[in-house]
Amino acid sequence: MGKNPELLPGTLDMLILKAVSLKPLHGYGILLRIQQISGEALSVPQGSLYPALYRLEHQGLIAAEWGESENKRKAKFYTVTATGRRRLKEETAEWNKLASAIGAALGATTDEV
Amino acid sequence: MWSRLRSLAGMLFRRDRFESEMRDEVRFHIEARAEDLARTGLSPADAMRQARIEFGTVDAIKDDCRQSRGVRWLDEIGNDLRYALRLMAKTPGFTAAAILSLALGIGANTAIFSLMDAVILRTVPVTSPQDLVFFAHGKGERPGVSSNYPLFERYRAIDGVFSGVTAFSPTAFKFTTNDGLENVTGLWVNGTFHGVLGVPMAIGRGFSAESDQPTDTPTAVVSDAFWLRRFGRDPSVLDRIITLDGRAIAIVGVTAPEFTGLIPGTNPDVTMPIAVRAITRPDYLQDHGTWTDLTIVGRLKPGVTPSAALAPVDVVLQQYMSEEENSWIKKGNPDAFANAVLVPAAHGSGVLRRQYETALNVLMGMVAIVLLIASVNVANLLLVRSAARSKEVAIRMCVGGGRARLIRQFLTESLLLATLGGALAIVFAQWGTAAIMSLFNAAETPLLIDVSPNTRVLMFTAGASLVTGVAFGLFPAFASTRVDLTPALKDVASTRLSRRWSLSHGLVASQVALSIVVLVVASLLVRTLYNLKSLDAGFAGGNLLLVTLDTYATPIPEASRVATLQAVLERVKTLPGVQNASLSRSTPIHTSGNARALVVVNAASEKIEDNAAFTNPVSPEYFDTLGIRLIRGRVFTDLDTGDSQHVAVVNETMAKFWAADRDPIGMTLAFRGDPKDLITIVGVVQDTHQMNLREAPPRTVYSPIPQAEEPPSGLTLEVRTAQEPAAIVAAVREAVRGVNRSIVLRYVRTIDQQINASLVRERVLATLSGGFALLALVLCAIGLYGVMSYTVTRRSREIGIRMALGAARSRVLAQVMSQTFLIAIVGTVIGVVAAFAATSTLATFLFGLTARDPLTVAGVAAALLVVSLGAGLLPARRAATLDPVQAIKAE
Repeated sequence: MGKNPELLPGTLDMLILKAVSLKPLHGYGILLRIQQISGEALSVPQGSLYPALYRLEHQGLIAAEWGESENKRKAKFYTVTATGRRRLKEETAEWNKLASAIGAALGATTDEV
Repeated sequence: MWSRLRSLAGMLFRRDRFESEMRDEVRFHIEARAEDLARTGLSPADAMRQARIEFGTVDAIKDDCRQSRGVRWLDEIGNDLRYALRLMAKTPGFTAAAILSLALGIGANTAIFSLMDAVILRTVPVTSPQDLVFFAHGKGERPGVSSNYPLFERYRAIDGVFSGVTAFSPTAFKFTTNDGLENVTGLWVNGTFHGVLGVPMAIGRGFSAESDQPTDTPTAVVSDAFWLRRFGRDPSVLDRIITLDGRAIAIVGVTAPEFTGLIPGTNPDVTMPIAVRAITRPDYLQDHGTWTDLTIVGRLKPGVTPSAALAPVDVVLQQYMSEEENSWIKKGNPDAFANAVLVPAAHGSGVLRRQYETALNVLMGMVAIVLLIASVNVANLLLVRSAARSKEVAIRMCVGGGRARLIRQFLTESLLLATLGGALAIVFAQWGTAAIMSLFNAAETPLLIDVSPNTRVLMFTAGASLVTGVAFGLFPAFASTRVDLTPALKDVASTRLSRRWSLSHGLVASQVALSIVVLVVASLLVRTLYNLKSLDAGFAGGNLLLVTLDTYATPIPEASRVATLQAVLERVKTLPGVQNASLSRSTPIHTSGNARALVVVNAASEKIEDNAAFTNPVSPEYFDTLGIRLIRGRVFTDLDTGDSQHVAVVNETMAKFWAADRDPIGMTLAFRGDPKDLITIVGVVQDTHQMNLREAPPRTVYSPIPQAEEPPSGLTLEVRTAQEPAAIVAAVREAVRGVNRSIVLRYVRTIDQQINASLVRERVLATLSGGFALLALVLCAIGLYGVMSYTVTRRSREIGIRMALGAARSRVLAQVMSQTFLIAIVGTVIGVVAAFAATSTLATFLFGLTARDPLTVAGVAAALLVVSLGAGLLPARRAATLDPVQAIKAE
């Protein structure tokens, strides 16, 4: 996979929740989806994807179910739960606030100081 | 929260599925990636390889997944447990020794604790027992709880601080059965008793205020034990009429099994209203002239503290005592009635507690020490074994096994040992308490306490196991994970290692010291029992049967009761195998007895402030039957009747006290309150101990039964037999029934049983402390043996080299023995000092020796040194008989 920027700590959970909130996905699908929705700018290290998925499932933010993949193979599909959706909304709002604050701070010119 | 629990529960129960699903999921991922890669033009094999590389280390990721699910610590605990079990199975001898010593230690603690729970900690099973107080009086640590009925009525009238006040008084009733009369334990109570206390009932009802009214149809409440014993818990008992003291009584209720009254250790069979007592004693309710064993208990209103309630109570007591007709009460002992006291009643009356609290504390201290010795043993054995594992520990730490993880593993093992020990301890404790309770059976009345394990006792056992497990586990865990890696790996006995040996030796020395303390305490208590038993009590023991005959509250008319009992005596005298027989009101080494104030005419001494004497009406044969030697004058004859001149036989102490150097024969004395009835002293007999063996013989005045101050309705029959007294019991019973079926035989025993009954506490203390001391000694010997034999094993190479260089075997032996001896000496010295400090609390228990009895301490120290050297001898001999060649080759 490409040499994309490192994920900021704590953002992987948010991205996973976002990815599965659109459509139930299997693990590999989540990986591809995050790449796709970030315009190929972000890539998830494969080693940390599954522990994160298991953690989110353990916390009840996502649910898993076995189903059939595009090429008729058995695969584990993840969907977001109601709790997970709420969490995603909260985290998105938090992130936006933080991002705009950081953006504003970094965009400050000498006049504004 | 729920999802976590669910997923964790899923983990626990569907572990295999979790693992296989994780495997499938990872495989799917890698294959899907490989397919995508193959589409970019890679060969399938290369694509698969590339996918694998990208994914990373599958096992590490899986482990991370498990941790995400909170499964990893479960895995680790599972691993630790499996590892510990494997280790334990590999060394079954060590495991059995460790579990057994812990089980004995914890079991002994549990057994003593369940006694403590029953005697001291348990509250009475009534509504909010913490709000109950006894109305007591007197300065000092032991306020009296007795009262008379008029004072109870005054207390009851206090307004505002009590929600209820009630009273009770222990007694006994004659219960009429198909086989004659039976003595049952009883309680006189105020009608408010069940209501104020909130006594739980099995069936029926308790008394009410109505029960205090005079009635023609008296009622009774019976205990569950009586209901079971007499009626097989038949509910129709509520319609039954029973006969008590010759009166028809209707049973209106049965108390719940857990309720045994407010006096722990007793369980009154029958409870009746004081109004029924007033039928035969009408003056009882108004009598200011006697002070009875009426106990008054009140329930504080919510929010009222005992100190706030005390003020009005004290006002009532002061007022009562200041009245002229009650002035006699304070006369003898003003301090005892100086002020009112409210004593917490949540645990019931303190009689049993006072009797056994210190004894139980002593025993609890001893078992705690025994457990400490056992723990040190296991800690030492673990330490010794962990030293053998130092190489493994070093390897694990080298490859990055965290120290915390290793400590946890050691702790898992020690906790597992402690848990198994604790489980076994519950079984041991069951046997232990059964054995201890059987020691109490020697008493005249059985000690009725429930010592079956309850939640608190089980919690105690669990707590003791946990603390023990952590305590003896942490120590070796820290010590053995603090290894110096390089030498440990090189398998060299480093200086580090030898330092740990001195730690082990220190632990064994502390065991020796602790054992000394336990052994000294036990020896003092055992010797006390021996001293008491071998005391010359002033009469002949042997084949002497005692039977208490009771005619009180029976159909036998009062006027003919003495004659009836004398008829029994005449009949018993003719029984085959009977050498002699007599009657008396009191017998030696029994708490029943009577002291009366008297004045002696023509006395040498004018001391009149201390003029009470123990009185005992006896038949003429009493002195011969008991083997009490006549010193001067004569004993009674059949000619000393109620109409003849009143005579007395006194004991030596009495004679010395009153007559000094003069001849007491012919002196006259009179009992206070009866000064005109002059009694002439006709004989002096040897002193005998009366109430118990500890107290010096009291000044005693014997009188002929027909001349007794009031005709006794109960007398004890003494029968001296040629053979074992047990053989004649049936014949005596038959003789008594032959005279009159209404005579109740209450307490049939031999004189030895009576003496043993007075020594129950001493025997319990001596037996238990002796057992604990033996246990401590064995554990200590095992500890010493274990450590010394490990020392020899570790040093066998060094010993081998020295022997190869020409060291004599005797020198090797001496060296090991001197090390053992050093440990024992250090431990003994510390132990003796500690024992001196510890035994001062024992003073009140001891008899015939002091708490610092030098002989006892020296004997114990010598015994411990011998045992220590014995324990060291085996390893020392093994060292001395080593084959140098093999020893050197072995490593």
